[in-house]
Amino acid sequence: MTINRIVETDSPQDFIEEIEKIQGALPKRIDANPKNVEKGLAKLVLTLIELIRKLLEKQAMRRIDAGSLSEEEIEGVGETLMKLENKMQELKGIFGLKDEELNLNLGPLGDLM
Amino acid sequence: MKIYTYAIIDSNSKISDTINGLEGIGVYNIPYRDMGIVVSSHSEQIQNITKDHILKYEEIVERLMEDFTVLPMRFLTLFNREEDVLLMMQEHYNGFKGNLDRLRNKVEFGIKVIWQGETIKNRIIESSKKCYANLVIPDNSPGKSFVKEKFEKYKIDKEFEEEADRCITIIDYFFSRFIAEKKLEKLKSDNLLLSASYLIEKEKQKDFIEVFEKIRAAPGDLKFLLSGPWPPYNFIVFTKNANMFNRKPVSQDRAGENAI
Repeated sequence: MTINRIVETDSPQDFIEEIEKIQGALPKRIDANPKNVEKGLAKLVLTLIELIRKLLEKQAMRRIDAGSLSEEEIEGVGETLMKLENKMQELKGIFGLKDEELNLNLGPLGDLM
Repeated sequence: MKIYTYAIIDSNSKISDTINGLEGIGVYNIPYRDMGIVVSSHSEQIQNITKDHILKYEEIVERLMEDFTVLPMRFLTLFNREEDVLLMMQEHYNGFKGNLDRLRNKVEFGIKVIWQGETIKNRIIESSKKCYANLVIPDNSPGKSFVKEKFEKYKIDKEFEEEADRCITIIDYFFSRFIAEKKLEKLKSDNLLLSASYLIEKEKQKDFIEVFEKIRAAPGDLKFLLSGPWPPYNFIVFTKNANMFNRKPVSQDRAGENAI
């Protein structure tokens, strides 16, 4: 039996661009060497904190959407989330990290960012 | 000696054709019970891995797929001795056997679909401005303003995903009639609506491709890409627990801990 490989599309360039975009979004490996070990470690830790922060934020939005939070609770949640986000911005600035660097492939759930 | 592995196959017979592997070295089948593992033996480890090595590996797996059911090994999985290869086969025999039986006479096809994600999102944003203008969340404090902004984004993303789900359900409905298994990934980017892998019986390939052609020709803004048939890279299910009932102690040092 001979395999007749098919690749069919009317828009090859569009697919190439989208696939490159996805591949470029994630680092292939953690760049840890003696010169930048501190930044590498910070990147790893901040990525995990960012994951937890995003989960908290999403859960809060779900609860607001479901109408299960009072006005006072919304106020409290808002302040907490705002402080968390500000602190993350501050930490990213200290270690010279950009938002897109704190990405994580969550398998079937997709990417963190 | 370094033994590079290519694929587990459902045959313990000698490979009749001459197939050159990495660095032009011929591949051969190491039999184990009713299956085998296709390998090439090298005097030393390959130092500089290039794109050509990757393409060669893929070419060999596809060549094997012409004659056998294959479980591709992870690229550059290597062992120090044939004894180590056999120990690995012994330890994971049940898992390999289960996969070979499940994947026999099946191939993988990939479908990718691009939609006008940015345009759709902008439309949702525009309509949300009207919808959320009188949102229940008052923004009379920094905390509430922050939540209001986040909530608007949450609702836009949610609506965007719901629209994607509706679209994917329709596309998948047409393909699902011919498939054994599927793996769907939604919105890997705003524009890449669907990235799907379908496992199909070889005799249904023609029907599957015909459906693709019909969907592709349908009017609309969607752009489609079909590729295949591929070895079933996305459908090998392998857990160490699969062999827990028939495990024998293995004490030797192994170089190929990351096989499959």
